[in-house]
Amino acid sequence: MELFELLNFYVIPGIVLGSIYALGAVGITLIFAILRYAHLAHGDLATFGAFVALACVTGMGIPPLAALPIAILVTAAIAVGIDKVFYEHLRDRPKIVTVMASLGIALMLRSVVQVVWGVDTQTYSRGIVRPEDYFGLRIRDRELYTVAALIFLVGGLQLFLTRSKWGKAMRAMSDNPNLALLSGIDNRKVVMLTWVIAGGLCAASGFFLGYNTEIKSMMGWHMLLPMFAAAILGGVGRVEGAVLGGLIVGIAEELSVLVIPSEYKAAMAFAILLFMLLVRPTGLLKGKVL
Amino acid sequence: MTALLSMEDLTGGYGDADILMDVSLHVDADEIVAIVGPNGAGKSTAMKSVFGLLSIRSGKMLFDGDDITRWAPNRIVQRGICYVPQVDNIFREMSIHENLEMGGFLRKGDLSAAYDRVYTLFPDLKERRRTPAGSLSGGQRQMVAMGRALMLDPKLLLLDEPTAGLSPKYMEQIFQICRDVRDTGVAILLVEQHAKQALAFADRGYVLAAGRNRHEGSGADLLADREVAEMFLGG
Repeated sequence: MELFELLNFYVIPGIVLGSIYALGAVGITLIFAILRYAHLAHGDLATFGAFVALACVTGMGIPPLAALPIAILVTAAIAVGIDKVFYEHLRDRPKIVTVMASLGIALMLRSVVQVVWGVDTQTYSRGIVRPEDYFGLRIRDRELYTVAALIFLVGGLQLFLTRSKWGKAMRAMSDNPNLALLSGIDNRKVVMLTWVIAGGLCAASGFFLGYNTEIKSMMGWHMLLPMFAAAILGGVGRVEGAVLGGLIVGIAEELSVLVIPSEYKAAMAFAILLFMLLVRPTGLLKGKVL
Repeated sequence: MTALLSMEDLTGGYGDADILMDVSLHVDADEIVAIVGPNGAGKSTAMKSVFGLLSIRSGKMLFDGDDITRWAPNRIVQRGICYVPQVDNIFREMSIHENLEMGGFLRKGDLSAAYDRVYTLFPDLKERRRTPAGSLSGGQRQMVAMGRALMLDPKLLLLDEPTAGLSPKYMEQIFQICRDVRDTGVAILLVEQHAKQALAFADRGYVLAAGRNRHEGSGADLLADREVAEMFLGG
């Protein structure tokens, strides 16, 4: 097999899929860093975001990319609402209680999506998009937008976390919660901010999965394992680690088709997760909170 | 002159069990006061009670004209008391400068005067302001922890065993910094394991035992007291 075939059919789709995983994994890692639990509703929150964008596209007749900001805002608000209504009461209980509650939220979100939008496969736009040719690399515009969105959103998040007062407060809360409280940092505001960011990124993740493939009510649930594998692979609590982990899992899934039947593609994330937990449980970039 | 902080017959503890029994102490402005005593005497508990981390059953805590007995910690911080815990007292992943910034989180407006003050007290920190605090030595971490607490410009600084685990050289340095901090107009109440050294450097001291006041006086007097020496200072 020649190099360009490898790049065009395996590596480029892998990077795109990896970018989608990365957007979700960053949220998972942030929630773990600040709230210290695994959020199992993350995949279905992404599904929800994808369907909000679909509603905008079909209802208002706007192009998919214009629907993305709306989906981000709506999903962020829903994430904050879910936290206020369900998770906040469980904050002083053992974390496993919240983990189980988030599984319930996952089922609930999926049911809402299925009731409102049905269970059929849908798309943002009809017709086949032919890829453009860049010196032999065949790339679709939407693939470029996906990677650009990852760079833009995560770059913005990094700037926020390292430059702004509230971004630093989030890092402080993740670093040493007691000392953050002693310094007068408002825990509730930091938690809310975490959900706004995680919810928004989740919506972007779901949107781009739908934009590059199809929109299905189970799409997010199927992304949950790869997203967790990405977060753990990169080192839990590390934003840049989640991005790296997402890209590795995405590319590995696409490349795995070369050696194993494509039905087993999804098992790649599981294999990476297992291997990582056995060999280096703190992740590639040494996680901060495990 | 009325005391900056006065604790009057305080009884309380965590939950139902009382650890402090009728403890009274006071700290004047511009004064370093040390609480010493054997393990389990309630030294750290007495300090935490100032910061509202204890359930108080009876007694009163007055600070600078306010009755702060049942105030929440964040309100006490804003009123001018900052607390440096014994362990986990820095943000490890954040730079020295960011640690200070988080210390000044509640302050509105320009923090540059507060940074200048801390960096004047701790010149070592200024050089390494971009270094993650977790990579520093124990003594430097303690400086970051104190610097963080000073960013809010407190009237009273609470230090829980600031020299625990430090070499004698750093211990002397921390004590010297405490004097410098006091000379900028901040009173200090500290708990110490190293009773002799602490009493030698503090203006006044309290000896607690089994949750009660046992002795009080100037550092020098306590050191000279035979009973204190035999019971608590190892002869």
